[in-house]
Amino acid sequence: MDSLDDAGVYKISDDLAIIQTVDFFTPIVDDPYWFGQIAAANALSDIYAMGGTPKTAMNLVGFPLKQMDISILRQILQGGLDKMKEAGVMLVGGHSVEDSELKYGLSVTGFVHPDRILTKKNLRAGDRLVLTKPLGTGVINTAIKGGVASVKVIDKITRLMATLNRDVAEVMKQYSVHACTDITGFGLLGHLAEMVDGSGLGVVLDSKKIPILSEAKDYAAMGMLPAGANKNKIFRESMVEFYSSVNPLIRDLLFDPQTSGGLLICIDRDDTDELVEELIQKGCDASAVIGEVVSAPQEKIVVNS
Amino acid sequence: MKEIDARGLSCPAPVVQTRIAIEEGYLKAIRVVVDNEAAQQNVKRFLESQGFDVALEKVDDHYSVTGQCDKVTAKQPSEASEAEARQTKIMIMIATDRIGYGDDELGLKLMVSFIRTLKEMGPDLWRLVFVNNGVNLAIQSSEVLVDLKELEDSGLQILVCGTCLTHFHLLEQKRVGETTNMLDIVTAMQLADKVINI
Repeated sequence: MDSLDDAGVYKISDDLAIIQTVDFFTPIVDDPYWFGQIAAANALSDIYAMGGTPKTAMNLVGFPLKQMDISILRQILQGGLDKMKEAGVMLVGGHSVEDSELKYGLSVTGFVHPDRILTKKNLRAGDRLVLTKPLGTGVINTAIKGGVASVKVIDKITRLMATLNRDVAEVMKQYSVHACTDITGFGLLGHLAEMVDGSGLGVVLDSKKIPILSEAKDYAAMGMLPAGANKNKIFRESMVEFYSSVNPLIRDLLFDPQTSGGLLICIDRDDTDELVEELIQKGCDASAVIGEVVSAPQEKIVVNS
Repeated sequence: MKEIDARGLSCPAPVVQTRIAIEEGYLKAIRVVVDNEAAQQNVKRFLESQGFDVALEKVDDHYSVTGQCDKVTAKQPSEASEAEARQTKIMIMIATDRIGYGDDELGLKLMVSFIRTLKEMGPDLWRLVFVNNGVNLAIQSSEVLVDLKELEDSGLQILVCGTCLTHFHLLEQKRVGETTNMLDIVTAMQLADKVINI
């Protein structure tokens, strides 16, 4: 497997491979129960992105015992456990250490048929790109830290981040999907750049079709872009060509680091409409076709309109 | 001119410091120094969103943003808010779905009657805040939902405690008012001329 894949894969037999991944982070919302859910949804996402089904998980905990009441940890673990139950995943153990800063996440193992593994490679000219969750969680999390986010918005993105990519993963198994990844810390363009890099192909995105939370646009206009968005931009901007008509705020939002973001699916052109229709029916209502794979310009992402 | 040195701080801290300075001082001019271009862009966007004309400068590793604001900003007291200020501001905090102790049925009846009579306070009634069990009055099954909606339509601000809704798993069922937090409630208490606790 490639070094940039979402998770590690080990083939056990001709019809079974295991996928292993690990992910943990510091709190992004104040409510411990929801933080637990979000951390679990985020960790499970890598398995879904590779076309697998998560089966078992282990908790990873860093907890400041001297500063925080142990009941906070119980709520976090309950949130994680409830999310694992929702995903049909069995918690089989875990490890905790005393830490100056609270951290929580999971190590997850999933199953996949070796012929059905999805990676970031295997793009084909003419393929369409589908994104399944709106962008903007990084900006809104920054607005929460900055004390300007309303309770309503916090509630909205908390639910969004805690939403599993399971339904999307189930739906896409029925279609000719060529490649897939989940959108997290590198932002949409950062993760897309990993797909394009070395493919010999290019991508054209229609910025008007990319789902972005309207509150994220408002907060970005108030200067709430996280430092990570700029790092992502500096790292990958040589691969990206923006039409001059694309608003600078939107350009920055396409680099906004996401927490537990959606899946970016590269799918055969003829299957696209049906996939999106079914995703919307299943409740992933932000799902949208955002662009296509082209033969030229090679190794570039062009963002138009 | 107010000067802020926000070097060494990562986003959103430079914007937060700028916001606090503006909110405290009704500033006409401000200069913020940061140590990277992204923070400079963020501060620029924030000042522009607040009605400032902005100039950028870079000297060595110092990125500065200078904002000038000649217009009367929204932060300064307008005529409307002066008129509002002359009125008595009554805040009512309701922490239960029934009035008093003793008979629960009677308590519920009294609460319904209380909410329906509130409009008699007229424009002096400024904010209605529901916390703890009181949030039950703002949900789908509430007997006074229609009355509360009428009060809201007439301009009364109704706040419903988000922590309480979450605690009772009622977030989805709230039908009136804005979901709020303790900071909003405490701020409202400070601004009110009279706080009535039920």
